[in-house]
Amino acid sequence: MPPCLFLLIFDMPELKDIKRMLFEQGYITDDSVAMSVFLSLQLNKPLLIEGPAGVGKTEIAKVMANALQTDLIRLQCYEGLDATHALYEWNYQRQLLHLKMVEHNQQPVEEKEKTIFSDSFLMKRPLLQAITHHKKPVLLIDEIDRSDEEFESFLLEVLSDWQITVPEIGTIKATHIPQVILTSNRTRELSEALRRRCLYLYIDYPDFEKEWTIVKNKIPGIDTKLAEQITGFMQQLRIIKLEKTPGIAETLDWAAALSALHIDHLDKNIIEQTLGVVLKDWKDTRQVQLSLSELMEKTGVYPKL
Amino acid sequence: MITRQTSLSKNIVHFCRFLRQKGFNVSAEEEILSLQALQFIDYTNNEVFHLALKASLCHTKSHLDEFDKLFHEYWKDLDKAVDAKTKEDQKNKTVFQQQASYKALSKWLHGDGNKETEETATCSIQESLLRKDFSTVPEDEVDELMQAIKSIAKKLAAKTNRRYEFSYKVDMPDLRKTLRKNLRRGGELLDIVHRRPKRNRIKLVLLCDVSRSMELYSAFLIQFMYAFQQVYRRMETFVFSTLLKRVTLLLKHKNFSEAMLQLSNENNGWSGGTRIGESLDTFVNEYGKKMIDSKTIVIILSDGWDTGNIDLIKNNMEFIHTKSKKLIWLNPLAGFEDYKPHVSAMKAALPFIDVFAPVHNVESLKKLGRWL
Repeated sequence: MPPCLFLLIFDMPELKDIKRMLFEQGYITDDSVAMSVFLSLQLNKPLLIEGPAGVGKTEIAKVMANALQTDLIRLQCYEGLDATHALYEWNYQRQLLHLKMVEHNQQPVEEKEKTIFSDSFLMKRPLLQAITHHKKPVLLIDEIDRSDEEFESFLLEVLSDWQITVPEIGTIKATHIPQVILTSNRTRELSEALRRRCLYLYIDYPDFEKEWTIVKNKIPGIDTKLAEQITGFMQQLRIIKLEKTPGIAETLDWAAALSALHIDHLDKNIIEQTLGVVLKDWKDTRQVQLSLSELMEKTGVYPKL
Repeated sequence: MITRQTSLSKNIVHFCRFLRQKGFNVSAEEEILSLQALQFIDYTNNEVFHLALKASLCHTKSHLDEFDKLFHEYWKDLDKAVDAKTKEDQKNKTVFQQQASYKALSKWLHGDGNKETEETATCSIQESLLRKDFSTVPEDEVDELMQAIKSIAKKLAAKTNRRYEFSYKVDMPDLRKTLRKNLRRGGELLDIVHRRPKRNRIKLVLLCDVSRSMELYSAFLIQFMYAFQQVYRRMETFVFSTLLKRVTLLLKHKNFSEAMLQLSNENNGWSGGTRIGESLDTFVNEYGKKMIDSKTIVIILSDGWDTGNIDLIKNNMEFIHTKSKKLIWLNPLAGFEDYKPHVSAMKAALPFIDVFAPVHNVESLKKLGRWL
């Protein structure tokens, strides 16, 4: 019996189960992450995850949905996102077409109105979708820091009441309260009120050991020495002040690329040719190219043979 | 809550009070949460116990960073214990020694906050006791100045982006909203809803140097800030020399001369030496995190003559630079032809400045409008 089914029977997972679940889903992590995920499940509190880009914040929600064998509903925030985009919208065009079609029916007007304001004309946006889902979903509110402050306060209301009012239909109460995960890149400070409602987790760039394990796990065919060199190089790279510090995603891309090219060790040429996988800013690229020898020495990448 | 009356819960309450003293925002809500969390974990394991408290009591990155140190500081006694049993005993002992009581908590809840320490800024030696007369701005120049400033501010306020918002003005119809509204009336277009381009709500933060080296310009600068305050609502104004002072509210409720008088009466390091680094540090720590976001333009008005810490300038300039939309440094001296930023403070700040511009006359102010 797979562990997840086991969990369904015995309701809430234990702390060690969470660790195992995360690991089995290919998410290598430390105890603080497991603890936060565990407590957020147990206490039924939203989990606010902050950290630099590319350290696997969004991934936690995906892994969680996978582990709980439920659906992931995602709300991507952006500047100008408003309630209609997050809650629901009526399908105006369809309503209009429907009215045209039944124009010559002898139905009373009330009847017609009832039809066009029914479920089939309602376009559910992520928040409404999440609270009307047939089973407890994981609701990922991604990059909440990009949305406006007004939306943040609106979200607070939904997160505390778990009901949404549609004037034409009435109040829709949550069938299941979703497991909420919010992520933020810290481009703006979130309000104290929102923080209060959530458990807080900060994920930083991984240390050498952790990153190395991730690379080994995610790219199975990779040469051990290459994995070591890549990780070492990336660790050094993050120490330099760059415009865009590369995350784990970049490390994995790079490792996958080099592995596909059947390369078993790094040298200056290869790094220069493939630097574009890791650095996405021309200033950074230039800076790294200039200090490449020094970087490689620090990493110990120079092939001794 | 099962464990309500046990020593452990009292200890947690006491620990929370300890955290509060260290500047954490820990309310009763968090205390309850942490106690609830302990129900689900094996709290005899120190590691697990630590992590659980950390997860339930911290809300920001800075708190997370401090937490480990404070945790160990507080539970130091427990760590000394060798085996689990003595640990348990000692845990109880510490409780009685510290006498964390619910009475104290409720006392705190009802507003007896005088035990909490609060840091206050103190005046530096360099601070001048001189009273400054700001009314030396020539009368005819004031009008011209005001005009320039107003047109700049208008440009700023009128900056639009591509989104639209609801409007009562009859201008551009919003087809979607119109149809939607009128569907309730059976599809006849009775009401027409209008829209207009959404205003770009760029915020402004002004930091003005009013130290002795800026004496000649201080009156001029205050004029500049004052006019902005009147036209532009979303704006914060600070003045600094050896200390930083927020004058936003002052300028909102007082007219020009009144505000001037009050500021010089208070003598907040007005025309003393300059400590840009320290002032910026105060700004960043006290206001910066709340006020600066990607829609904020930060304008600093200073000549860069500084007697303080250069590293502080560097760090805080970097913070403002990364957080804000744009960082503009206005330097009156830059108006002189041969000016080069040789001053060390200016050199330190330069890499983080998006726009470096002179601000010595109306002409240069007009040019400033281009950057906003």
